[in-house]
Amino acid sequence: MGLPFIKEAITQLFSKPSTEKYPLVKKEVSDGFRGKLVFHPELCINCGMCMRVCAPQAITRTIEKTEEGDRITMEFHMGSCTFCSMCADFCSKNSIELSKEYSMVVTNEDDLKVRGSFIKKAPPKKELSPEQLAKLKAAKAAKDGKAEEEFDSCPDA
Amino acid sequence: MQILLDLFYVLIFPGFLFCAVVGLLLAGIDRKIVARMQKRMGPPIVQPFYDFFKLLGKETIIPHAASRGVFIAAPLLGLVSLVVMALFIPVFGFTAFSGVADLIVILYLLTIPAAAIIVGGAASGSPYAGVGISREMVAIVAYELPLIIVLLTVGKKAALDGGITFSFTEIQAYQAEFGSMLSHWSMIPAAVAMLLVIPSEVGSHPFDVAEAETEICEGPLVEYSGSLLGIYKLNHAIKMFILTALFAALFLGGAGSGILIVDVLLLLLICTVVTILSMSLPHAISARLKVEKMFKFYWTLVTVLAVISLVLVWMGF
Amino acid sequence: MFKKIIDNSMAKSPWIYHINTGSCNGCDIELVSVITPRYDAERMGFKLTGTPRHADIVVVSGPVTSQSKERLVRTLAQVPEPRVIVSLGSCPRPCNVFKGSYSVEGPLDKFCEVDVSVAGCTPKPEAIIDGLALAAQILKEKRRQK
Repeated sequence: MGLPFIKEAITQLFSKPSTEKYPLVKKEVSDGFRGKLVFHPELCINCGMCMRVCAPQAITRTIEKTEEGDRITMEFHMGSCTFCSMCADFCSKNSIELSKEYSMVVTNEDDLKVRGSFIKKAPPKKELSPEQLAKLKAAKAAKDGKAEEEFDSCPDA
Repeated sequence: MQILLDLFYVLIFPGFLFCAVVGLLLAGIDRKIVARMQKRMGPPIVQPFYDFFKLLGKETIIPHAASRGVFIAAPLLGLVSLVVMALFIPVFGFTAFSGVADLIVILYLLTIPAAAIIVGGAASGSPYAGVGISREMVAIVAYELPLIIVLLTVGKKAALDGGITFSFTEIQAYQAEFGSMLSHWSMIPAAVAMLLVIPSEVGSHPFDVAEAETEICEGPLVEYSGSLLGIYKLNHAIKMFILTALFAALFLGGAGSGILIVDVLLLLLICTVVTILSMSLPHAISARLKVEKMFKFYWTLVTVLAVISLVLVWMGF
Repeated sequence: MFKKIIDNSMAKSPWIYHINTGSCNGCDIELVSVITPRYDAERMGFKLTGTPRHADIVVVSGPVTSQSKERLVRTLAQVPEPRVIVSLGSCPRPCNVFKGSYSVEGPLDKFCEVDVSVAGCTPKPEAIIDGLALAAQILKEKRRQK
């Protein structure tokens, strides 16, 4: 019955321990670490791609009608997120990015939701003069008639 | 007047308070040294005190399938027998109660805390506890044999008239005159055997088959919670102190200096060194032994060491 | 005087019991690595116990599946008061990608009261240490209110 590790045990008794003292010394994470999400609402265009690719369906959107347009609120639920960063990859305007914050400890689950809202104005309506309106109607009628002629010229089957 | 002095002995000085404080400190030192050997920081030395007071603040649940009276009385029985044992062990020339047959009394009293664990586990009514107590019974049978042989060896060596002595006063007188037991070369195998018996009796790694944490959900203590569990952990800590003090009295005794305080400090120092050598070092370097391997280890290697010493002492060396 | 000592000791020696109700084992590995020498949690008094009757903090990981629902309820009933329940990872409460599946019984809120949530998939060991330290403080508050 050999006795392994005796030498290591005694030398380690007198050397410095290799523990990282966490709450006193914060740890730096490497680049490319996917932590808590940060949303920039001024860059979002409300395309909805992030909601389509999110696997746990953690993104929801609510629309309220206000007098200036639509008030759109995007809500990202960090408790349900898998941190796969598909939403950040698919967003065409780079309005979602995953930061380096890793410590998300809460007692109330509402604190885990990241919200951002912006106002989307409807595009302005263009006013047309009466000649432009008549020209538009004539062009439409001509197109309809040509289609009928072509239909009639089909040989009888 | 004598009643007050006896009460002081039982409750304060070598009795309950002294044993509890020193035992919990020794348990804390053991955990810290094991952590440092494993290259990590480890808990503070007063951590067992926090554990004990926290357990006093938890709710005590008694399961439906357990027998109430025995469930509650088992840990208290262990505590009482340990405190009584502490009154018989000398501190370099000062004993609270001494008699003619101290060693026999200690041998009988040492089985009661182990029996308290068995009885407590049997009263729990859980199958995990059943497995745990059968392993504890095998462990008791394994380590009792070398322990008895070591005590007989020391008794024979210290007898001045050719017979055998069982009294601590005579053992201390012999060591005061001829030097401590460890300085005679024929007693060294017995000392090594005693050092190997200590971790199994206390129930520490690598011989803690009875209280195997991960395998059988903590064995006999599986249904205990709250203050009853606190008393079991206190028993574990006091047993560490009692056994190391017994080692110091048997093998490193003597007259000491005349002052009580210096003797007590010297005893604490010896207890700490023996704890580190015999309990922390094996804990840090080895895994847990199986029941049959532990039995074989005690009845072959350790018994042979003790018997060598006995034979040498009987031949007169 | 004893009451104050007991209250203070509650936060300094919390014992942990871990239940896995069907998770992928990622959060379990990160929890066990908190006990290793690099992130040593024992310096704050944490200890893994083998039975729920000895525990103060119960750490639950995994979405609650149909097969483990009954065992979870029975185990949680054996933990003595005062106790704190911590949900680890993003599986227990909002069920991550397993929402609406035929064998997932739903968020942990339906079976017990959850005190602390540690989010992440999987949470870093430093975040788990933060969560356990917060749970120890909540344990002390619960004891004081009793």
